[in-house]
Amino acid sequence: MHTNGTSWRLQCTINGQPIDTEVEQDETLLFFLRDRLGLTGTKGSCLEGECGSCTVIVDGQAVNSCLVLCPQMQGRTVETIEGLANGDKLHVLQEKFLASGAAQCGYCTPGLIMAAKALLDENPNPSEQQFFEGMEGNICRCTGYAAICEAIRSAAREWK
Amino acid sequence: MRNAEDGIRTPALPAKRTATAPVRTKPLIDPSTTPYKESPKGPVGRSEKRIDGTEKVLGTALYGADLFYNRADYFAQVVRSEKAHARIVKIDTADALRVPGVLAVYTAKDMPPGATNRQGLIHRDHPVLAEDKVLYRGDAVAIVVAQTERAVVRGRDAVRVEYEDLPVVADFDDALAEDAPKLHPDGNIMGGKRIRKGDADAALAESDVIVSETFVTQTVDHAFLDIEAGIGQWDGHLLTLHVSGQWAHEERRLTALALGLPMEAVRIITPATGGAFGGREDLSIQVYLGLVALKHPGKTIAMRYSREESMRARHKRHAMRIHYTVGAKKDGTLTAAKITVYSDEGAYASTGPAVLRKAASHSTGPLRVPNVYVDVYGVFTNNNPTGAMRGFGACQMAIAYCGMMDRLAERLGMDRVELWRKNLIRSGDEVTTGQRIPIATAIECMDAALKQFRSKKKDDRPLAPHEKRGWGMSVICFGLGYGDGFPDASRAIVKFNAAGRLEVYTGGVEYGQGLLNMAGQIAAEELGVPFSQVDVIWADTGRTLESGSSSATRQTYFTGNAVKIAASELREQVLDIAGKLLGVHPHELDLHDGKAVGRYNAKLVVPIDKLVEEGRRRKYSLEATGIFKPRTVCENYDTGQSPRSFITYLFASHIAQVVVDIETGEVRVERFIACHDVGKAINPQSVAGQMIGGATQGIGMALMEEVIMDDGVMRNPNFTDYILPTFRDVPTIETVIVENDDPGGPYGARGIGEPPLIAATPAVLSAIGNAIGVCPHTTPCNPQRVWELLHPEEAQVPYAARLSLAPGHAMMFK
Repeated sequence: MHTNGTSWRLQCTINGQPIDTEVEQDETLLFFLRDRLGLTGTKGSCLEGECGSCTVIVDGQAVNSCLVLCPQMQGRTVETIEGLANGDKLHVLQEKFLASGAAQCGYCTPGLIMAAKALLDENPNPSEQQFFEGMEGNICRCTGYAAICEAIRSAAREWK
Repeated sequence: MRNAEDGIRTPALPAKRTATAPVRTKPLIDPSTTPYKESPKGPVGRSEKRIDGTEKVLGTALYGADLFYNRADYFAQVVRSEKAHARIVKIDTADALRVPGVLAVYTAKDMPPGATNRQGLIHRDHPVLAEDKVLYRGDAVAIVVAQTERAVVRGRDAVRVEYEDLPVVADFDDALAEDAPKLHPDGNIMGGKRIRKGDADAALAESDVIVSETFVTQTVDHAFLDIEAGIGQWDGHLLTLHVSGQWAHEERRLTALALGLPMEAVRIITPATGGAFGGREDLSIQVYLGLVALKHPGKTIAMRYSREESMRARHKRHAMRIHYTVGAKKDGTLTAAKITVYSDEGAYASTGPAVLRKAASHSTGPLRVPNVYVDVYGVFTNNNPTGAMRGFGACQMAIAYCGMMDRLAERLGMDRVELWRKNLIRSGDEVTTGQRIPIATAIECMDAALKQFRSKKKDDRPLAPHEKRGWGMSVICFGLGYGDGFPDASRAIVKFNAAGRLEVYTGGVEYGQGLLNMAGQIAAEELGVPFSQVDVIWADTGRTLESGSSSATRQTYFTGNAVKIAASELREQVLDIAGKLLGVHPHELDLHDGKAVGRYNAKLVVPIDKLVEEGRRRKYSLEATGIFKPRTVCENYDTGQSPRSFITYLFASHIAQVVVDIETGEVRVERFIACHDVGKAINPQSVAGQMIGGATQGIGMALMEEVIMDDGVMRNPNFTDYILPTFRDVPTIETVIVENDDPGGPYGARGIGEPPLIAATPAVLSAIGNAIGVCPHTTPCNPQRVWELLHPEEAQVPYAARLSLAPGHAMMFK
């Protein structure tokens, strides 16, 4: 598994694609996705796990990609915002975010959509408490959250 | 303080007239046959989906840092001062240059010939790279360039700067001390603004009651999520910078000046921009990127801040101390206000002068005060520069005048709503600057907010013994734009492109507020084309004309008007073509739903596509430019009075209901109502989004957000310690949109940006005061401060001293 020096051979799945590549041991998943793979839909903002802009789904769980290192992804399945739409067809969360006006500056949007997907995948009918627990790790500075709540709740009604 | 359950007097309605005439089922005149277009038929007033929405939900919108991938050749980083005030003795770059991958380190000496090395929107007083002194902990000292991002960070940390410490001016009291070090050649007073209206002293002497209070507002960070990042290249002729800002054309001008380039040699292309709130008005990375690009021709240079650097480097909202005295008659009628404001300008002027002006001109808000005496001072310190942020100056003053209304109501034993109602300006009344407001809707906003507040049945949860509930209200006004004689203008181009799509060109920056839809919907409305046929090209100095800054709530009014002017010019062309084609006078035709249609003859129909094709054949330009440049009048230097300081005014009223835990001091906002007169909501969803988002920032300012500066050191330059409102902190904010047509606005629109924040903070503070019986005077009203309000005797001991009594805590603090 190890290679020379600080490199690491990473094998994992990202958006259904098998990945087999050399990474630096101390590279964060966020940096790897954005600056190695060009998957720039995942955003960095606070870079210390407070704002949730970098949320991706790892093995079904919402994860701050700025806080995990690439070697921790060994053998895991990663979903990012780029993997959500099916061709031209938006994912139901994307559709609802668009319809509700839940994206203003849009910078928190990919992270919010991924956090919401992880939440609804686990429980399509979350209580208010569960909703907050699932979403409170994501900060939005523009919308005041109302449109986001509306989008997630209306997506939940159509969740399959 | 009394709870104003029955404070609102509903005027008696006239008795219903019994209908003697038969009820008409059809209007006398069929509106579809009236020759002139009266009301929008197209997208104006509809919640069209955001033009940039799809790419934002897909994650394909490209923000500054998204441009690095596959493009960046070299990376740059700024070495920032670790001292709040010091002389630079020596910059040692040897270690940095030994780091593998590091290419160069640049200091002020490396600025190109002709470069001013200065930035600053109003005064060019801020060295891009420090020359001999640093004035705040965050001042840029040097720039490092390297082949990789890892190397550039190592290189940055290896630059050794030797400083000679100078005394730190930590706040405005320090700065105003007689022996204070002079931070700028003209001393520590950056500027001031005064209002002299009537005779405040005499009026106070004759007042039945006088109420005084000192308000202290905090330093606030914009905390937009999209950290400063971008790329730049110099190709030998043109410096192209892909960097987010709020005013691309001014950024071009300032960058060119700082680097000694002709303006034409700089092009700013604004990428997708993740929030701004005033935080992108000053230059951020533009000149650094530009300098490095000039030194490495042909290479694409990339740079980005970390969150900490972003917070340490950037300007902030002005902390202010406001000494406010009002006088009133026994019946509550205000007689005079005497106000002194000190504001912390930080190390450089930034947009401080504009903020001071705004503070002075909004110091009595929408209240009728015949005698006003205001002095506002901006004072330099060794803190971060302070400048533009949503609500600039007006929001601090709203905290004060709304707070004074609560105090006065308490003193007079009067109902708060009644006191507001007595003193709010009516149409035709004057505001602080003496400007008469033709359509003042403060009372209408207040009543609409109260109606919404009382419309819901009380289903408040029962309170625990340690909880208190209260509600509070604010009524505010905001003078739109910069005003005060500033030559403010917006330009737009509207044209049909070769593919027959309608293109709108605006220099305005979209950072989330909805400018693209505003511009696109207005153009589509004028030309009668479906909104899906419109593209908006924005904020690229190579392709668009200057539209002024996306700030001061000015874009809807200014760029909306410019687009409308251009689009109605183009409409004339299209109608002319249609007239020729159909053999009728153009006035007999209308454009809607993608067609030219006869007003009197429904059989006359031509699709607009066909008219565009025909126009091209007939050599029509199919393009028009609109310029909107309204005149405002400078405020008199001595009195601050002006017949038209601002082009128009916006009004709003917010109501907050809170529950305060009197043991812990925690405040929970239970209900929140935001009511705004926007003139006309071009896109109601966008408008509501701005209202809710702005109110949320105002709640943040009221309850939690605070940049903590300690002897020039920022203690919380990160999102762990700088607390922002989350999902849990805001209730469902109820929005009430009032539409009183503005005679000068596009389709009657005024705007929405700043007022939601301005109105929210005082409403929350008022609610806290109502709940605990003590009016807050210091923001944010966090648990500590609520506790201090409840325990005034213990609050006499300074906070730091109280902490140091508790072992262990002192370490946390220092």
